[in-house]
Amino acid sequence: MNIRGVLIEDTFAEAFTMRAARLVITGASPRWAMAAALKLTGFATSVIGCKCEAGIERELAADETPDGRPGVSVLFMTMSKDDLPKRLIERVGQTVLTCPTTACFDGLPNVPDRVGVGSALRFFGDGFQASKVIAGERYWRIPVMEGEFLVQEKFGMMKAVGGGNFLILARSAPAALAAAEAAVDAMAGLTGVFLPFPGGVVRSGSKVGSRRSKTMIASTNDAYCPTLRAVTKTDLAEGINSVLEIVINGLDAPAISQAMKVGIDAACRDDIVSISAGNYAGKLGPHHFHLRKIMSDGAAG
Amino acid sequence: MLTLKTPPHAAVDASALLLQPWADLPASAISRLPLRVEGSGPAALGDLFTVTGERSARVRLIGDLSRFERVGAELADGEVIIEGDVGPGVATRMRGGRIAVTGNAGWGAGLEMAGGLVDIGGSAGPRAGGAALGAKRGMTGGELILRGSAGAEAGACMRRGLVVIGGSAGEGVGRASIAGTVVVFGTAGPNPGQWSKRGTIVALGSVTPPATYRYACTYRPEYLGLLLRHLGSRRLPVTREQLTGSYRRYSGDLAELGAGEILAWTTN
Repeated sequence: MNIRGVLIEDTFAEAFTMRAARLVITGASPRWAMAAALKLTGFATSVIGCKCEAGIERELAADETPDGRPGVSVLFMTMSKDDLPKRLIERVGQTVLTCPTTACFDGLPNVPDRVGVGSALRFFGDGFQASKVIAGERYWRIPVMEGEFLVQEKFGMMKAVGGGNFLILARSAPAALAAAEAAVDAMAGLTGVFLPFPGGVVRSGSKVGSRRSKTMIASTNDAYCPTLRAVTKTDLAEGINSVLEIVINGLDAPAISQAMKVGIDAACRDDIVSISAGNYAGKLGPHHFHLRKIMSDGAAG
Repeated sequence: MLTLKTPPHAAVDASALLLQPWADLPASAISRLPLRVEGSGPAALGDLFTVTGERSARVRLIGDLSRFERVGAELADGEVIIEGDVGPGVATRMRGGRIAVTGNAGWGAGLEMAGGLVDIGGSAGPRAGGAALGAKRGMTGGELILRGSAGAEAGACMRRGLVVIGGSAGEGVGRASIAGTVVVFGTAGPNPGQWSKRGTIVALGSVTPPATYRYACTYRPEYLGLLLRHLGSRRLPVTREQLTGSYRRYSGDLAELGAGEILAWTTN
């Protein structure tokens, strides 16, 4: 399969089941909602080193949020359901509670599994906190120096998919970067997905384990490093001098498929040789996103 | 649909009326449902009302029911619409479902209610959402909306839940409340929140906090944005100024626990 002269390789992206929450952060202005969201989603690229993966789904207009203020929708994922409330409590407590004017609401109200977040953060109120039930949902009012921090007691938790991906194999580093930027721009604002890495792009794709250390769970994907072409078993064809990866996490497989379709299409530009994907021969993750199938009909993997 | 034939001359105890499985009852069985008329004993529903329709979870009562007491008591689900006035204790200890009254209600509307929604188009007598005299707890959940005014001690001793008063509130609104919220769109009468432990009174009209409350600050509580938008969805007359405005916070009752508050909307 070719798209505008770019080969779509006959391979698939392999993804994992994760647990996800959606947070709606509001503020007095978009500036402060975004300030909290950026801090909350900072250092949340991979569970390998960050214990969670998080990203901004999209900005919300005032009429889309529970309290009628501008907001940001954040998707937040961990590998286990026990980890999700722990990481949420840490991050909401350190990055949203601390941020002027913000409030934090559950963005998955119809999900039956609920995890306590406000119910734990309330103890910061040192006994001065108060709860209110509005339309059947409990909220905590935590007194802070500015006024009050409002946080919902419980957040919805659902199974989700982490690790959807595609690789952009380019003739040059500038061409790879331009294609990656185009792909990220095209995927911006899609509902139900986020790109956890910086600017949505990964330059350091990894393989499982290490050649030299038994304790390392991941190390550089030498088969895709152009500088190692002469000294390792390479997967790079002649003429490929740079590779970038786009990782996509989503609330479900169809959302990831749709994002991959949009992103891959945008990445098929001049000086891109091919589009590939990262997998572990189907041994590690239950979700398989076959590139050619996605690009032909957009169906979930 | 139940249409009152003629208003009774004595009080009628209707507390058991809506505990029946109305969705399963044929019209003949509905007509035989028992009521108790003060001074003359049991009476069949069909003696007092013209019954039309059957097997419905939605019950309409039409007429002046101001002599009917405790209509909708302990209702757990379903919808009851009363087209007219209703007597004391409507929705007493209600647990779920919805009761709408187009007219006025007697004393004790929503007395000790635990859940569901009561929407009274007119005014209500004393102790709406409160506790029965001598009882420790009033409302423990649900929403009680009075689009008119409320008599004395609305929300007295309430533990949880929401009481909304579209007009003015009588003396002692939220008196001795343990927690919960009372919103007053009009004037709050004397001694609001007296002896309250953790209750909240949101005063959108004029209010004079008791001497045992102390001014804390003027600010915008974010949760009020949520609450007032919710009330707007219930067709209450919330203004943009109330949504975005500032509120004077008074803490009290300092003669009690002192964790309660009066939030008084201010245009300054």
